[in-house]
Amino acid sequence: MSEIYNPNPVIFSTNKQSKSNIHSIWLQDDEGYGSDTYFDDIVEPIDQNEIFDLIRTIYDPEHPNTLEELNVVSAPQIKISGNHLHVEFTPTVPHCGMSTLIGLSIRVRLMRSLPDRFKVDIVVKPGSHQSELAVNKQLNDKERVAAALENPALVKTIEATLQQGVV
Amino acid sequence: MQVDLPYELKLIATLSGHEDRAWHLAWNPTKPLLASCSGDRSVRLYSYSPSALDFRLAASIPTGHTKSVRAVAWAPSGKTLVTASFDANIGVWEREEDDEDGAGEWECLTLLEGHETECKSVAYSSTGTLLASCSRDKSVWVWEVQPDADFECLGVMMEHTQDVKCVAWHPTEELLASASYDDTIRFYIDDPSDDWYCAATIQAHESTVWSLAWSPDGRFLASASDDKTVKIWKRTGQFQFKEVLVLTGHERAVFSLAWGKGKGGARSLGWLASTGSDGIIFVRELQEAEDTVTERLLTKVHDAHGVHDINTVAWCPTTGLEDILGSAGDDGNCKIWRIEPTGV
Repeated sequence: MSEIYNPNPVIFSTNKQSKSNIHSIWLQDDEGYGSDTYFDDIVEPIDQNEIFDLIRTIYDPEHPNTLEELNVVSAPQIKISGNHLHVEFTPTVPHCGMSTLIGLSIRVRLMRSLPDRFKVDIVVKPGSHQSELAVNKQLNDKERVAAALENPALVKTIEATLQQGVV
Repeated sequence: MQVDLPYELKLIATLSGHEDRAWHLAWNPTKPLLASCSGDRSVRLYSYSPSALDFRLAASIPTGHTKSVRAVAWAPSGKTLVTASFDANIGVWEREEDDEDGAGEWECLTLLEGHETECKSVAYSSTGTLLASCSRDKSVWVWEVQPDADFECLGVMMEHTQDVKCVAWHPTEELLASASYDDTIRFYIDDPSDDWYCAATIQAHESTVWSLAWSPDGRFLASASDDKTVKIWKRTGQFQFKEVLVLTGHERAVFSLAWGKGKGGARSLGWLASTGSDGIIFVRELQEAEDTVTERLLTKVHDAHGVHDINTVAWCPTTGLEDILGSAGDDGNCKIWRIEPTGV
């Protein structure tokens, strides 16, 4: 990165364990479903904490810290209503040029982890970013997201923020 | 259930095979042939008998585009197919005529380069002499279609301040409309003594304008937006448009519109289908009343592609098949529907 938008972010302590099952970040595991197709229609409710568990470990693109450690994401900023998921995040500084990338990383993690039925909206916390509307519009434009995910350089950067098990 | 609605959407066929989302589909205007395109970078062509509507795969074209194929369009002659890709290029395709059946391979005659980023929409003018394209690079291009797959760029209009999502030609005139991420619709014509230029702009919606559809008689334009509404604009002068109706009901972004003749009466302005991220397909009949337009909801189907977004709806242009609608969704499928009176 040529420019560091927030050279000295505040690091917050995190919960060692979340309230829900941390062993599986994949919500579509076989356990509990079995092969009986009659049960395919049964929708397991997914709660705020499970969503939070999926995104808390994403790394910030310009710091060796997770989004949870930087207080960029938190469980209360996640709203679930039926198949509609609304995720708000808080950029560390209002001029954060990495906001779109952070939002895209959150979207990719959720896209890969959640069942297809979820419609996901991702927005920055109101008032937390000087280009709030532009960032929100871009993060929720289907074509722009699809095109971004066909850009190898961008995908590489996103994959780096999504790496697992690095502490 | 939709017990109170006068029509229902009856599923005729589900065309699967794309390995990624189906972005768009286009009915051939002269032959029983349907083209679909996808994030898997391929185009699939389906042939059918107009009486039996028995769709079967006629060809699958890998295209060679290096990114998603976002849109397809047929020339009015039905002979040429164009593909718009996120790789910024436009492919021009025709079928080799190597036997009597014309059952040759589809070959890329030329690749139109010029856009700097994702090409999102392409459209032929009604006579087939002009082709328009648009891109995330904010530009709208008009190309002259010359013999032997030669295309000459007549104009590059850099009027929009953001991505251009859709281009749509007037059904009879050489008047082009474009819709954008900048929430506006713009109109372009050729100045006989100069170049193509933007003659009018409408601050149309509160968010991205995704799709445009002219009424079959060309007197109205419909626009669909991320603001969840569909608006009907009446053309009141050469470059003047007045909002006459706002259609609500969609729960998320509206991605696509199709305005066909339908099978309504003589007073009908035709049937308008709309769809989007909410997976709902609406079909409405529009009628002109004094200085305004009224809507009659014919049918509404939830989850038309299961839980998935629907990216495109398109009416079959063939006479007698005005009640046949195609849709393309994130499930990778294209579906063919018939709009039938309820209870038939």
